[in-house]
Amino acid sequence: MPRIVTYRRIVFAGAMLCAMWLGCASAFAADQSKGDPQAGRSLVYTCGGCHGVTGYYNAYPNYHVPRIGGQNYQYIVDALTEYKKGERSHPTMRAQGRSLSIQEIHDIAAYLSSLRK
Amino acid sequence: MKSVHLIALLACTFAANAFAASATDASNKPIDIKVLAVPCEACHGKDGNAIADQYPRLAGQYHDYLAQALREYRSGDRQNPIMGGFAKPLSDAEIDALSRYFAAMPSKLHDLSHDEQGD
Repeated sequence: MPRIVTYRRIVFAGAMLCAMWLGCASAFAADQSKGDPQAGRSLVYTCGGCHGVTGYYNAYPNYHVPRIGGQNYQYIVDALTEYKKGERSHPTMRAQGRSLSIQEIHDIAAYLSSLRK
Repeated sequence: MKSVHLIALLACTFAANAFAASATDASNKPIDIKVLAVPCEACHGKDGNAIADQYPRLAGQYHDYLAQALREYRSGDRQNPIMGGFAKPLSDAEIDALSRYFAAMPSKLHDLSHDEQGD
């Protein structure tokens, strides 16, 4: 029965390839969807200038600069992306958003969302 | 994922309509914060810490920042289909009450302290 054996081998090899492809695809997807908190740690130096000063005020209009340590990952990604695209109006944050790549935005979000009180 | 968003949007639109009806006569009635906050809690959680990652934690955020966000949603300066619908019918007094309500909750948020400002 050499033919059947060969057929089984082909099916098995095909299944293995599918499994490997799926494995790679999900690993790739994970890399794409979550940033690197270590890379984010060095990027948030700039954020600290306003978000790192407890009680710091935004001027005109006056309100506290929001607390971002411990904020949710996807919300931070969305907020920075909206600033980057000019969909949110804060001038300083728009400039920050424009200066960041999509990967850097994900890295910052990974770091900030990892912070605990 | 798209369909989940659509369902969430429909649910929120429905809630926003019900909310709008209750908020219109708020000017001559005292604000019942527990009632006013119900639609917010659907996404931002009863404890203000959000039911999913794409929604921000509100608990312990500065109340004046939350109020600013709600005013921007109300005016359309900040665009979000869900939040726009919720914020439109709110009075200044209701925005203030909601912001203080969530700001006073036990928080997981904090200002970036000195050891967290990068390398």
